[in-house]
Amino acid sequence: MYTLAKIAFRNLNRQKKRSFLLGGAIAFGIFIVTLINGFAGAFQANVAGNMAQLFAGHVFVEGSEKTAKGKAIDIIRDDAPVMAAFAAAGISTEYVAKRSYANATLVFEGKKATQNIYGADLEGERFLKDRLLFKEGSWENLRDERALVLSEGVAKKLKVEVGDRLLVQLKTVTGQNNVGEFVLAGISQDMGLFSSMLAYAHRAYVNELLDIGPDEYQMLGALVDDLTKAELRAKALQPALAARAPVFELPPAATRAEKAAAAKLAKEAKAARKKADESKAAGAATAEADDDAADDAEEAAAAAKSANGSPMQSRYQKLYKLAKKETWEGTKYRVFTINDLLSQIEDLVKVLNIASVYILAVLFVIIMVGITNTFRMIMYERIKEIGTMRAVGMQRPAVRNLFLLEAGFLAVAGTLAGWALSAIAMAIISIFDFGTSTVFALLLKNGHLSFAVQAPHAIGGFLLVLVLTLLAAALPARKASRLEPAAALRTSM
Amino acid sequence: MNKLIRGAAAALLILAGLAPAFAQDAAPDFRKLVETLDSIDDFTGSDFSGVFTIVTDKPGKRQEVTQVRMFRRDSKEQFLMLMLLPEASKGQGYLKEGDNFWFYDPTSRKFNHSSMKEALNDSEARNDDFKRKKTLEEYDIAKTGEGMVGKFPVWVIDLKAKTNDVSYDMVTIYVRKDRPLVLKQEDKSVNGRLMRTTLFPKYADVGKGKFFPSQMLIVDEINTGEKSQITMAELSVAKLPDKVFTKAFLEQTN
Repeated sequence: MYTLAKIAFRNLNRQKKRSFLLGGAIAFGIFIVTLINGFAGAFQANVAGNMAQLFAGHVFVEGSEKTAKGKAIDIIRDDAPVMAAFAAAGISTEYVAKRSYANATLVFEGKKATQNIYGADLEGERFLKDRLLFKEGSWENLRDERALVLSEGVAKKLKVEVGDRLLVQLKTVTGQNNVGEFVLAGISQDMGLFSSMLAYAHRAYVNELLDIGPDEYQMLGALVDDLTKAELRAKALQPALAARAPVFELPPAATRAEKAAAAKLAKEAKAARKKADESKAAGAATAEADDDAADDAEEAAAAAKSANGSPMQSRYQKLYKLAKKETWEGTKYRVFTINDLLSQIEDLVKVLNIASVYILAVLFVIIMVGITNTFRMIMYERIKEIGTMRAVGMQRPAVRNLFLLEAGFLAVAGTLAGWALSAIAMAIISIFDFGTSTVFALLLKNGHLSFAVQAPHAIGGFLLVLVLTLLAAALPARKASRLEPAAALRTSM
Repeated sequence: MNKLIRGAAAALLILAGLAPAFAQDAAPDFRKLVETLDSIDDFTGSDFSGVFTIVTDKPGKRQEVTQVRMFRRDSKEQFLMLMLLPEASKGQGYLKEGDNFWFYDPTSRKFNHSSMKEALNDSEARNDDFKRKKTLEEYDIAKTGEGMVGKFPVWVIDLKAKTNDVSYDMVTIYVRKDRPLVLKQEDKSVNGRLMRTTLFPKYADVGKGKFFPSQMLIVDEINTGEKSQITMAELSVAKLPDKVFTKAFLEQTN
């Protein structure tokens, strides 16, 4: 086998240009796919990391109460059970943020901007102090109880300067209109798309505008030691809190049969609606009955879809929806992680990974044609050499294996070159600073594109390339192994 | 003819009942006055429909015209609004069935939960501006006084919400002293800041002793320069078919 490998390597070396082109084609395919995989790998981590900064937490708890009219409102009035659950679950409360939030309209001299305003403990929230960078204004200005920190983009849109007074229009937790007045204390660095989500004010004043008590709040966020441990911590927190207070729990995901049944109902509803529309257009006597039947079918389909949950909703959205359906007394809690808020991103990463496999497969179907043709040519070029080797005693399987080894070496060398090229490209791309104010800031790590190649995907890609290359060379290899030594030696090519 | 006579008689009875309260400047029973205000546009016992044209002005934006056909059956608290204009919103509708308030989008053919507190097509009007008023169920009378609106002497009544199901926590109404008609309404935020002023310069007598504002001017007091003028036409108390207050009606209209 060692001798065969040496001959195979020598053969590749003899035709450097051809080997380089074939290996280059393989390397290009691997290069593209590794870049996509690397981007997809870092994508989720970057988004989750940036969002965790935005929401000040990896693991979150929200409280929900029902009003007398059955409307669910978000509020945590007494967090004793929550804090006890954190202690019982062994989660540090060193970096805990207790926040209220309002979706508000800021008004300044005839200009308006919709803005999410977080009511935070501006003095005590260490994490916020560490990361909030002022372009204008300072922490000193935040002493004003009506202080507001806006991002640069929104401040520019409103043409507002530090010290200006802005009106704010919002709704209380129960949905009544309210108006307040903020003093712009600082302008923070812009965050592109996230500018409209990054405004901070004192929790006591936001609470006053939301018509809730000064010590009450709506969301507790905890930064755990490591983003990758968020799920683990949430899993420990959920039962610890459930032992102390009611907690929302998502039902298990719909089974394949339930999904199929919902799809069938949706199809039937569509057909019923089509029939009703046709009856109506034709002025048929059954038009009304058909319309009623279509309504019933649509209701049944909607109920089945709702029971299964929409695939477009994040796990957090599904959890949030439970508050509308369920009834309870007192405060019921939601425990979730940053990944639950971003579960659609997980799906997007899955799609990216699947797409990269398809891209690799399509690229290699094209490359396989080239490899097959090249190996056919190689076989004809070496027909006398094969005849000689066969005449001196080389067996048929050895001839076949020689060709396959050459293809295998090409696949290995091409893959290694592809990985090396992609590593260089990733290193170069990640040098560029795109800033934190671009619309892509969410995908970046401190303004830089980052990559994280997942080993299973890289190994899977290599194995796919190896198998396809061997398949492409298999036919010429088989043909070469079947050559009769005498006939091969007589060939005049 | 009989209907006309019955309507006129009812109107006379209401006015006769109120006569002592409005014949002089002596402070009336304000609870009774608010009850009367609610009763004059309470169409329990009949149905009510009309077409509202809302012209909205916002600084820096083109004037927006919204037209809505509204149907009300107060006895069953049913309410339906069908958008006629702008063209982009044509066919959209709102339906109130008991405590549920639905928004219908003809493009997706779907009903979604909405709220009576929402603004109507980005105008200054809210859905609940057109529903039957139940002031004393929602508000307590906090303070009363006297004043003038233009050349009209008025009773000024400050109302404070006793439930959080209303859009505005505090409301001040200015009621003509000579007739039980609101001339001006001020809607205030939870912390008492004036947010919206509505003027009612004209009322239409829709028969059976019922009145409905035929013109309204709503001024946004927070966003300077934003206002909506509402004109009501085709007001009717004629009986409406039951199917009007159904989801099917909204679907079939499109």
